[in-house]
Amino acid sequence: MREPEQQEPQARAGRRAVVTGLGVIAPNGVGTDAFWKAVQQGTTVLGPVTREGCTELPLRVAGQVNDFDPAGLIESRFLVQTDRFTHFAMAAADLALSDAGLATDPQDPFAIGVVTAAGSGGGEFGQGELQQLWGQGPHFVGPYQSIAWFYAASTGQISIRGGFQGPCGVLANDEAGGLDAFAQACRSIRRGTDAVVVGATEAPLAPYSVVCQLGYPELSLAQDPQRAYLPFTEDACGFSPAEGGAMFVVEEEAAALRRGARIRAVVAGHAATFTGTGDWGRSRQGLARAIQAALAEAGCSAADVDVVFADALGVPAADQAEALAIADALGPHAADVPVTAPKTGFGRAYSGASSLDAAAAVLALEHGVVPPTPNITEVRHDLDLVTGHPRQLRLRTALVLSRGLMGCNAALVLQRAVDDRP
Amino acid sequence: MNDPVTFEDLATLMKRRAGLAVDPWEMESRPDADFADYGLDSLGLLGIVSELENRYGTSIGNNPETCRTPHEFLDLVNTQLTLGA
Repeated sequence: MREPEQQEPQARAGRRAVVTGLGVIAPNGVGTDAFWKAVQQGTTVLGPVTREGCTELPLRVAGQVNDFDPAGLIESRFLVQTDRFTHFAMAAADLALSDAGLATDPQDPFAIGVVTAAGSGGGEFGQGELQQLWGQGPHFVGPYQSIAWFYAASTGQISIRGGFQGPCGVLANDEAGGLDAFAQACRSIRRGTDAVVVGATEAPLAPYSVVCQLGYPELSLAQDPQRAYLPFTEDACGFSPAEGGAMFVVEEEAAALRRGARIRAVVAGHAATFTGTGDWGRSRQGLARAIQAALAEAGCSAADVDVVFADALGVPAADQAEALAIADALGPHAADVPVTAPKTGFGRAYSGASSLDAAAAVLALEHGVVPPTPNITEVRHDLDLVTGHPRQLRLRTALVLSRGLMGCNAALVLQRAVDDRP
Repeated sequence: MNDPVTFEDLATLMKRRAGLAVDPWEMESRPDADFADYGLDSLGLLGIVSELENRYGTSIGNNPETCRTPHEFLDLVNTQLTLGA
């Protein structure tokens, strides 16, 4: 989103991107209403990992999406060639498109594009085919292995299924990719695309994928679901992973208004930085820089930020770096602004985590409610972390933060289209 | 000698390998209809070829995965399987 004119000669001035549709598939709720109800109430759904092949692994606590039957939602010809992460993506895209009242126009199939982010890919599908390979031989590996495991699968299948032939892309950008995908969608919109189906979903709770995650020192192996993921506290011991995510319809504002769409939020600013792996302390500077640049793009000052959706990794050094980054970027306002991390109730779905935070931010702005951070009581940092109960506030501007385990940092600014604060 | 692969067998394979519900009688009665008309893509056809090869324990020559229509495909497959028997 922050590209100089000369690099983007086709950019059209004044084309603003707005959110007109939300679709959520999360451990605490399938569908936007169920998700928001759980988020607002601070419902905790972290629990034992019960997936076949995972129960003997050292990861004990995660956020599973248990109430999701893809066969009832997706045609079987798409199901046979896709992994669970793409089932989530297709189902969430349907919800978002239905919310936006948008479908492809056969006369203009290039008007709508698709952008997704993915960090885990189709691990479950890939494992099944690799078992065929070693169990029976190469001739027993299905051809759809060539596409189902791939990070780009969700973008491709959403595009094919919906007939969306506009600009398509995929971001393999770590957890932060869920926010970076919005920036990519906004670029397409500035260059002339009317609408982009955008977001991120993940399905990392299958044996092969879980084994891969066991190598992350940040992963919480705690046994107690209420104690496994406690960012910003003395007891922080890593994060609990989750599956699911959110898809959105982002549209050019004038096109959305022309067709009478409800504008749910404005995508006002984004910026990303990279600070590498191995030292969470370095993310302080990178995250602060991303916040400042995203606010500058949105034309906001630090004092304009009404709520912060924190990355909340749950690793002491990372939590400290995030608290300091917020302070560095927002100055004295950092001590006053409400900060929340609803994901402590359902886990971190990698790049789906930041898209779920963006969904929660849109809903928070609409409802004038800052949802609480479940399971957290004593905060050890100088942050006004909202715990216990939701807080009613008139909100105009939300700042969503994300950091990836591989060093990507991103900040997204979402705003209400109308300012009705007192 | 192998029994020939029928339209019914093909419909079963299209369901199992590509998730497509296709009426075998419709396929049989429409010699000009393409696989694409039934929603089968090239990867789906490749999976069907592999399954037939595994079932009959032989490789099916003459590039069956390039066939455009079900009729063309069954003619080629049954000819090749007869030759190989």
